[in-house]
Amino acid sequence: MEHHLLEIGGVRMSRREDLRLITGAGKYASDWNLPGQLHATFLRADRAHANIVSVNTEAAEKHPGVVRVFTGEDAMRSGYTKPMTMLTFKGRGGMEVLRPERPVLAHGKVRCVGEPVAMVVAESALIAQDAAELIEVEYEELPVVIDPEAALAPGAPQLHDNVPGNVPFDFEAGDAGATEAAFAKAAHVTRLKLAVTRVAPNPMEPRACLVAYDAGTDMYTVHVHVQGVNMMRKQLAAYTGLPEEKFRIMAHDVGGAFGQRSLAYPEYCMQLLAAKQLGRPVKWIATRSEGFMTDSHGRANYVSGELALDKDGKFLGARLDWIADMGAYLTPTGPVSHLRNPSTCLTGVYRIPALYGRWRTVLTNTNPIAAYRGAGRPDVAYVIERLVSQAAADLKMDAAEIRRRNFIPPEAFPYKTPTGSTYENADLPGVLEKALKLADWNGFANRRRQSEKAGKLRGIGIATVIENTGAGLFPRDEVQIEVAAGGTVTAYTVSHSQGQGHETSFAMIVAETLGIAFERVQLRQGDEDHPLFGNHTGGSRSTVGAGSACHLAARKLIEEGRALAALELDAEPSQVEYANGSFRGGESKRTITLADLAKSRVFSVTAQGSFSSTFPNGCHIAEVEIDPDTGVTEIASYVTVDDCGRVINHTIVEGQMHGGVAQGAGQVFGEHVVYDRDSGQLMTGSFADYYMPRAGLVREITMEEHPTPSKVSPLGVKGMGESGCTASLPALTNAVLDALRPLGVQHLDMPLTPAKVWHAIQAARTKQ
Amino acid sequence: MAKVEITVNGVKHSRDVEDRVLLANFLREDLGLTGTHIGCDTSQCGCCTVHVDGLAVKSCTMLAVQANGANVVTIEGMAKNGALHPIQQAFTECHGLQCGFCTPGMIMAVAGLLKYNPNPTDEQICHGLEGNLCRCTGYINIVKAVKRSAELMSGKK
Repeated sequence: MEHHLLEIGGVRMSRREDLRLITGAGKYASDWNLPGQLHATFLRADRAHANIVSVNTEAAEKHPGVVRVFTGEDAMRSGYTKPMTMLTFKGRGGMEVLRPERPVLAHGKVRCVGEPVAMVVAESALIAQDAAELIEVEYEELPVVIDPEAALAPGAPQLHDNVPGNVPFDFEAGDAGATEAAFAKAAHVTRLKLAVTRVAPNPMEPRACLVAYDAGTDMYTVHVHVQGVNMMRKQLAAYTGLPEEKFRIMAHDVGGAFGQRSLAYPEYCMQLLAAKQLGRPVKWIATRSEGFMTDSHGRANYVSGELALDKDGKFLGARLDWIADMGAYLTPTGPVSHLRNPSTCLTGVYRIPALYGRWRTVLTNTNPIAAYRGAGRPDVAYVIERLVSQAAADLKMDAAEIRRRNFIPPEAFPYKTPTGSTYENADLPGVLEKALKLADWNGFANRRRQSEKAGKLRGIGIATVIENTGAGLFPRDEVQIEVAAGGTVTAYTVSHSQGQGHETSFAMIVAETLGIAFERVQLRQGDEDHPLFGNHTGGSRSTVGAGSACHLAARKLIEEGRALAALELDAEPSQVEYANGSFRGGESKRTITLADLAKSRVFSVTAQGSFSSTFPNGCHIAEVEIDPDTGVTEIASYVTVDDCGRVINHTIVEGQMHGGVAQGAGQVFGEHVVYDRDSGQLMTGSFADYYMPRAGLVREITMEEHPTPSKVSPLGVKGMGESGCTASLPALTNAVLDALRPLGVQHLDMPLTPAKVWHAIQAARTKQ
Repeated sequence: MAKVEITVNGVKHSRDVEDRVLLANFLREDLGLTGTHIGCDTSQCGCCTVHVDGLAVKSCTMLAVQANGANVVTIEGMAKNGALHPIQQAFTECHGLQCGFCTPGMIMAVAGLLKYNPNPTDEQICHGLEGNLCRCTGYINIVKAVKRSAELMSGKK
């Protein structure tokens, strides 16, 4: 893939944003400071489920430098008790979601370790921390339930009075009757029970927030990391009951997000309350330990899957029973993403005539779950692709051949799936054949023999996946473009980069559409002086939504500029030509530049577009080598062929793929949030206990593109920020199981740690 | 409270600091050098790596008072007279950063690594970066950036 290098100010760079980030001049949430600011710290629950008998703050309040200590009583008085929900559809049997209350400081009860119980506000962060240790909380412990299946059992501890049986939402998709009929005539049924494990997204920047309240204007200024200012504002308004227009959200650089940074957390709402009541700005920076406990976790889906096949390996039906652990409370994104995305893509890339899925969201005494890179898409891809590879093994078929035999053929697109979504376009056989060639699929047997000679177990795993990019919380995406008299063209977006490089790729789109130099175009994201309607960055949708709107706005700028230039040139607009930043026309044949038009007026346009889901797809093939003496797995090769439509910037796409695959590899080989079953204590509360991918886990990725342009976007782009995660979970797991299958190992759940793999090998050998 | 004198990026600073203040917090809060990032509280992530008397050090592992009299270089001190340090140049050329939060610490750690091993193998690079976490890049381009840094520092264009 070509590496795209820019020349900016005489320096060779991959991206416009790099210069400030490599020199330490980036501005992240914790880098903001305001005169007179106070510092907050939170005392957190050290029990997973308990009644709060009393909270004694007397000593803390007397501690020198402490300004105020807030408790659940303050939270209840404020009425900040009900977070937003994005669930707008009904569940099974017309069920409405049961929304548990979540006071911004715990009141009456704590339901997971880490839940904030009190907030100390003091002159310094260290004073606040000292004082928090002086708070005495008396608890009356309650029985704990960590495992969502156990939480469904009769007699299980109940978390919320208004959620009987711990199921806040029960959902189904597909046709149960038709699926049952399909299974009845099946020659073979493959069944797997799969854990899509709970993981911690862990963007490298810990959470931080600084809130200032201005009594004169009755406005809150919130410096915080976002994926888009509108999403944050909407949630803060919903949680507090304050009007959206009361919030000015300020964010510059965001140190990674992966879905976790789209949420308005309870702590931010407490800072709103404190900043107003105390009349001074309130700053809070989370520690990583707090992050592990309270930044939303991802995945945590436990799925029983069945695939029915005829004697030729053709799929007849698939059925999923899906348990989605939601943690102790519902986040705005958790339920919707873990139901809608999997049901949209339930059929995977295959023609499966009959489909049925049931999803039960379940509350447990654990940290809440929210969207995490892929948000249900990697989860369903993992389930379907594991089932398909297992079915191939059951039927002694080639794992590529079973896929080939069942693909939705190119001529069947647009393809309406049995769960009601419509896939736009794809060339699945083309993607597969390219990937097989790139991975030298046919040469695997030979490579396996070579590994065997060296005493190693070798496996090959394949995953062919499709995913829906986000349709968005807001129905339209707006972009404004403004031309300055000096000639600089500035585009404004709601969509906010967290590392994806929008300042480069969106500027490329504008520059290309206007036919002007890249250097003349700059991007501003979430600029509150240029309020716009539209969506945050999430669900792989930014280039589809904001990127396309950049293109539409640039075209609109040309048309409005043409009308203005026509007046000055004394010509009909139709006689005015535009090229490379200049208009020409009329009898004078005079040239008027975009910058000229901005000299006598504000020259700015806003364009909007409505962009539905696109369907990026691809095939990933992984090869692994396992040392049976240690259980250590090495990724021997990793090949990707992806269709993300037209590519704007190959370097950025490659980087996104690297990161996504590594996050998938992290989950497959080590990442796992673990709670103690009896006490509900978090066992993986720091980077010392929680596995994070390190340099060397994924050494190399061989990539090729196979674009089929989307018509959803005038640019032909599809999203791709999450593709790496989606395909790598099943591809890598299938590879490990392919290596172990000759020993008789049929299934292992992630994480495939050396210990787990070694034990499986030992157990299988003992049996033999 | 203790009085410290610390030279940071060539400038001498005298401050009164609490005994318990970490060097990382001193740099960020007392000197306003926010290019040094804090990504964890257990000294695993490496975001806060700086150089103390020529050694790459995670600045959350030492107290400000321990750096009394020391010569500290942070990410803000790497570019000289408007020219990027070769490692900074290599990171952008190789797309070795995305969100950029781990990047200052990565660059300082790589400078420490290359000082003792100007031409490391892939294996040595991975080992040398064991103490630095990145969540965005998958490290492939970071490893490339280290190799490119070595090239640029040995005079290759």
